[in-house]
Formats: sequence, C-alpha cells, structure tokens
Amino acid sequence: MVLADLGARLRGALSSVESGSDDEIQQMIKDICGALLESDVNIKLVAKLRDNIRSQIASSNIAQEASPMNKRKKLQKVIYDELCGLVDSHVEPPKPKKINASTKTIKGKKVKLSKESSHVIMFVGLQGAGKTTSCTKLAVYYKKRGFTVGLVCADTFRAGAFDQLKQNAIKANIPYYGSYLEPDPVKIAFEGVSKFKQEKFDIIIVDTSGRHRQEQQLFTEMVQIGDAIQPTQTIMVMDGSIGQAAESQARAFKESSNFGSIILTKMDGHAKGGGAISAVAATKTPIVFIGTGEHIGDLEVFKPTTFISKLLGIGDIQSLIEH
Amino acid sequence: YFGGAINVDEVSKKFHDQLISKNIAPQTSKSIIEKIKLKLQNKSNITMAVYQQTLTDELTKILTPNVSTDLLYDIKKQKTRGTRPYVISVVGVNGVGKSTNLAKLAYWFLQNNLNVLICACDTFRSGAVEQLKVHVNNLQKLNDMSTTTSSKIELFEKGYGAGDHVVQTAKSAIQFATDEKFDIVLIDTAGRTHSNAKLMAPLKKFGDAADPDKIIMVGEALVGTDSVEQAINFNNAFGNKRNLDFFIISKVDTVGDLVGTMINMVMATKVPILFVGTGQTYTDIKRLSVKQVVEMLMK
Ligand SMILES: Nc1nc2c(ncn2[C@@H]2O[C@H](COP(=O)(O)OP(=O)(O)OP(=O)(O)O)[C@@H](O)[C@H]2O)c(=O)[nH]1
Ligand SMILES: Nc1nc2c(ncn2[C@@H]2O[C@H](COP(=O)(O)OP(=O)(O)OP(=O)(O)O)[C@@H](O)[C@H]2O)c(=O)[nH]1
Ligand SMILES: [Mg+2]
Ligand SMILES: [Mg+2]
Repeated sequence: MVLADLGARLRGALSSVESGSDDEIQQMIKDICGALLESDVNIKLVAKLRDNIRSQIASSNIAQEASPMNKRKKLQKVIYDELCGLVDSHVEPPKPKKINASTKTIKGKKVKLSKESSHVIMFVGLQGAGKTTSCTKLAVYYKKRGFTVGLVCADTFRAGAFDQLKQNAIKANIPYYGSYLEPDPVKIAFEGVSKFKQEKFDIIIVDTSGRHRQEQQLFTEMVQIGDAIQPTQTIMVMDGSIGQAAESQARAFKESSNFGSIILTKMDGHAKGGGAISAVAATKTPIVFIGTGEHIGDLEVFKPTTFISKLLGIGDIQSLIEH
Repeated sequence: YFGGAINVDEVSKKFHDQLISKNIAPQTSKSIIEKIKLKLQNKSNITMAVYQQTLTDELTKILTPNVSTDLLYDIKKQKTRGTRPYVISVVGVNGVGKSTNLAKLAYWFLQNNLNVLICACDTFRSGAVEQLKVHVNNLQKLNDMSTTTSSKIELFEKGYGAGDHVVQTAKSAIQFATDEKFDIVLIDTAGRTHSNAKLMAPLKKFGDAADPDKIIMVGEALVGTDSVEQAINFNNAFGNKRNLDFFIISKVDTVGDLVGTMINMVMATKVPILFVGTGQTYTDIKRLSVKQVVEMLMK
C-alpha cells in the first residue's frame, strides 16, 4: 500500500549496486536520499542520514568484500540500521492493565474493591489530524481485547465535536461523556475522567480540540487539561501527509504536552509518512498505531523495525542481524 | 558578494534545497530551478541579485491567477439574470477544513448582503450535519446583530445516508433555494482520499447533478508532497469537461513561512487560489498576497 513506492525506490537503489565501486555507492546514497525527500522526510534529517551512511560505509570495509552479493548485504545492513535509527525511538509506551473487577456490597451498593487506577489516555494534535476518529478506533481496539473503555469529549471549540464523538461512540457501543453547554474543556475533562475512574473503567480516553504551536493560548489550555486529568499516557495524532512543518509542530507539542506516543493517520492514501518520521526523530517518540481509513476498525499496530524491513524488502530480519 | 558573479549550479542547488525546506515538493522544486537555469543560460556574469530576481519573478508568475477571482461580481451578475441561485461546492481530502472554510465563505457573503443556503452533503462523517448546524446558528446570530445587512442564512439537510442520498440532497437544496430566493447555495461534501477510486467516482456524479457554478478545492498548507497528487486527482475527478475553479489553502496560520504547498498545488493544475484560511474564526479568510508568499519562500 502506502509504502510501496518508497520501498521500491530504496530496493532499486540498493540492487543497482553491482561492483560496489565508489561511484555506484555514491549514486545509491543519492537515490535513497532523493526517495526520502519525496516522502517528506525533513531535509536536514536527510542530510544527516546521508553523512551517517557515508561514514558507516567507510568504516565497515565494504570495498574489501569479494562478492557483490556480500557487498550488497553489508550495504543493506548499514541502510537498515540508519533507517531504523530514524523511526525507532527504543521507547516502550505504557501498557494499560485490567483493573481487578471483584466487588463487595456495602450498604446495599456494589463497590469495586480494587485500588488500582484507570489508565488515562489524552489525545492531542493539530486541527483535523484525526484525533476524534482515532479516539474511538483506539477504544474499539482495547474493547476487543477485553478492556472496559470510556470516552470523554473535552473539545468544546470545534463545531459539532461532541456530536461527532457521541455518534462514533454509539456506533461502537462505547460509554461516553461530554456536554453541549459547558464551555470549559478543563472542567469537562476532569468531570468525565472522575466519573469513569469512579466506575473503575480500565481505560479512559480523552479527546481534545485541535491546536497549533503558533497560538500560545491553545497550548496553555492543553497544559491545563493535562494538569487536571494527569494522563498516564498522552498520544499525539499526526496526519500521514504532513510535510516539512511536522518537525517544529511535533517539537512544540512535545515540550508542552510531553506526549509519549504517536498515532499516524490517513495512511490509506498515498501519503508516505515522512513528515511523521521527522517528528519521531525530533521527539524520540514512537509511532504506535497507524490509521488506515475512516471506519472504526481501520487501525493497525505499528512496529518500526518491521516497517523498515518491509521497506527494504527484507523478509527475514534475523538472517540480516546474524550476518 | 551580491555584486560578484556566481556559480549558477552551486546557487541553484542551494535554492533547490531551500524550496524543499519551505515544503515545495522535490520534483516541483526541481522543475522550477531548471527553468531558472534555462532562463539564465545565455547570460554571463550572473550575480546573486539577478538570480534571486529571476526566481522571485518565476514564483510570482506561478501564483498570479490568469483568470478573474472576483467571485462577488460573478454572483451579482447571475443574480440579475434571476435564473437559479449561484451554486458553490467545496471538495477535498479529509480534515483539511472544508466545512469551516465554507462557513467563512458564508459569513463573507452575508456581509455582502447575499442570501445563503448551506447544504449538508457530507452525509457520511459522524457529526458533519450537526457541525454545519452550529455554524449556521452562529452566523444567524451574528447576522441578526449586524445593522448594515439584511441577508439571511439557512441550513438545508436531509440527514445521513449512502448511495444517491448526496445527489438527491443537493438537487432538493438547489430547488428549495430557487423557490425561496436564495442567492447562493454552498454545498459541503465529505472528505475523501484522493487516491481511492471508489470514493472519488461519486464526485463526477455529484458534479453532473448539482452542476456547481464554482467547484472549490480546499487544500491544507500543512500537507507535503502529497499535495501535488491531491490537486491533480481532484482536478480530474469531474470528467474531462470540468475542472476545479479555485483553491482555498487552509491552515496557513499553522506553517509559518513553509508555504510551499501553494506552489505545489497551483503548479500541478494551473488552478488559481481564491483565498487562504488563516485561523478558526469566521473572519480568518484572506485574499492571497502573492508578494508576501513569494517573500516567505525566498527568505
Ligand atoms: N482516510 C482516512 N481518513 C481519516 C483517518 N483518520 C481520520 N480520518 C478522517 O479525517 C477527518 C478528520 O478527522 P477528525 O477525527 O475529525 O480529526 P480531529 O483531529 O478530531 O479534528 P479537530 O477536532 O477539528 O482538530 C475526518 O473526515 C475523518 O473521517 C484515516 O486513518 N484515514
Ligand atoms: N488553524 C486553522 N485551523 C483551521 C483552518 N481551517 C479549518 N481549521 C480547523 O481544521 C479542523 C478541521 O476542519 P473541518 O472544516 O471540519 O474540515 P473538513 O475538511 O470539513 O473535514 P471532514 O469533513 O472531516 O473531511 C477544525 O478544527 C477547524 O477548526 C485554518 O485556516 N486555520
Ligand atoms: Mg476532533
Ligand atoms: Mg467537513
């Protein structure tokens, strides 16, 4: 799908190396960098990657390899490592746990016994990135795995935001919380989270308005919501087609919200996701899911190393690592 | 430095990279720079100032529309003819700002004393109809407070639905607007993936049935290289007799001076930019300042 183009170009660049002469290798590097630029990877990042590849190739004695086959394998390993370095942040986002469900009846009222607290996930991101849609998708994903999930609409700004979340939640049969009247998103977020916490939901997902770094007030609001609900995990939702602005926006969101993972949306089109790769590199934060459509089931788990091996057409990574 | 002769190849490479860093797609940047090189090839002693001026002129030429963008004039002309209301439709990929910028257009028309019927033809996405309802309520209130206008605005909707629901809704809205003497029908449509043929095909049917006077694609300033293909595919979606009329480039306030998307979309299609979206309120819609955009790209 999405990555086919970039993958084909990367593989083409690699396989065009025959004798392993310096000229060929320089051409390969040029092709790879060209392919990355066309996928919206930040231009400075590409320049850095190019230098890294050059120095790795120099230090790994590729010229000494006898067979072209071995040369290509070694080159592939260098490229693989460098590309993984781009998208692999080596950070594991926190995993939600199921709250012990045992109950006791006190004064005729059923009370859950567990002292454990709900896993609160706050969504942040630019306008129209796909936050509201992805909230429900993630809720459905966890519900299928046996978690109890509640949705909170803390977007009081966007016209029709609550209706959108509500209609999605009803379709997916997920409990939701929101208000048509309360204008303060901090208040709604706090009330919604408190309510679902009291009811011992395993996971509470909080949707917020779209915002951008140029408007300080919007960022302040995001920080206030975060302070009020103390999320276990903050997810930045990013549009897969975003271009060169990705890096500065992601950095600003990181500074203010300290998000711990990224969901990359709209990857069902031809977008190549390079902007998001730049965001990952700039914020050292992993992409955990990708959105692949408008329906509530269109969400896939994302594994950076698998992604890169697919790009390079490597079926069996193990063989490469042993090499 | 500015006075001395430069190495055109070196400087070209530098500007090629600069354009990419401003969010112009690599292929687009390449073809612009090649054109500059061609223009300069027979000149000797080219200075930095000459190079910059040539590039500035080229970028200006790309962005300057060669058709009239005076929409109000067009609408008023049609109004005096009194045949049917002026129909405008917005299209584009998901989440770019179609509905919001449609509401901004409505506000602008109301202020110009034109009666607006908004038609909810995004009958797919959750909350899309309610979103427009909120906008129309807000605009009605704003309009009632205004002492200088006597225009009206209403929402036409037939709820959600698939199949030919969209076409039916659009047709009924235009009929209703004709009967009720609305000057303009603004039709919102669902966002769609430009590379998904199944989603793009209904646009042709919709275009044929509603026969809008203007089809406006909303493109988002944040989008990178994909913007080229987005523009091309939407421009081709209405059959070989019909093209897009205008772009509105939204979310320009979110990209600083990385305004290259405008060049990507206009160069790919030759469709002019009508407005740029610069925020989330009803007044955040501005005429394109070509000069300002080119300055940002050259900086
Ligand atoms: N094709 C496709 N469309 C998507 C995907 N995720 C979201 N969308 C669409 O993108 C548009 C915007 O999504 P929303 O969920 O409203 O985005 P948001 O970030 O909540 O927007 P704001 O609240 O206005 O900032 C909608 O039309 C969604 O249907 C995806 O993975 N693929
Ligand atoms: N900063 C900024 N935000 C904008 C602008 N235009 C629209 N938005 C925001 O972008 C988000 C998406 O806008 P919509 O109008 O719902 O987009 P759409 O294209 O109709 O989305 P779908 O119908 O879901 O495809 C909203 O949060 C808007 O407030 C703009 O010019 N600047
Ligand atoms: Mg939303
Ligand atoms: Mg819309």
